Amino acid sequence: MAGDMNVLPLSVIEEAIKGDGDALAAVINHYKGYIRYLAMRPLKDDYGNEYLCVDEDMRLRLEAKLIHSIVTGFKILPA
Amino acid sequence: MKDPYEQRVQNQFGGFCTRVLKNEAARIHNEYARQREREKSLDDLSPDELSQITTTDTYFEDEHVFEVLGKSVVVTGDLLAEAISKLPEDKRDVILLSYFLGMSDREISEHMDVVRQSISKRRAKTLKELREYLVKEGFEWPEI
Repeated sequence: MAGDMNVLPLSVIEEAIKGDGDALAAVINHYKGYIRYLAMRPLKDDYGNEYLCVDEDMRLRLEAKLIHSIVTGFKILPA
Repeated sequence: MKDPYEQRVQNQFGGFCTRVLKNEAARIHNEYARQREREKSLDDLSPDELSQITTTDTYFEDEHVFEVLGKSVVVTGDLLAEAISKLPEDKRDVILLSYFLGMSDREISEHMDVVRQSISKRRAKTLKELREYLVKEGFEWPEI
């Protein structure tokens, strides 16, 4: 059962494809870490030090894109 | 034992989501790079380029201040101010007091210790002089 924590249940996937808000929220939550990782950008402060920061703008765009793609673009392929 | 259909859908969905996010992230990075290439900070613009996109306020630029009887009078318009500054002091005071401070001839005559008639004469004469000077200098009369 412990392995199942890392995978979205089938029912959630099916609901998300139909556009259910709670299911999509669960999917976004599932990919939260990956999205934050992708939205990481080096940022320079006034003294020239570089930091890795999550670009909030980019994070939100990634989330929006994921939701849009799941609802419009995902089809379950036949075996 | 896990349902093979569920396993398959989970794999497809996981792959799909990862692909979508990765592609979109690459696209956004491209966009940022393109923007950085084309964008220019306002600080880096030459004065010439800057003047094309900015305006400068011109308040007080053509205002001139004269002193009469301890009061300051503001005259707007370079040419007019120049004409007034060229008048002798007694004539200038009459013009400023009557037209810029709105005093009557009687009030002016009391302030300057002269009879009223001479103020009135001086004013008429000065106005004529001013007009001649301004016409000669090509002053554009404001539309009323």
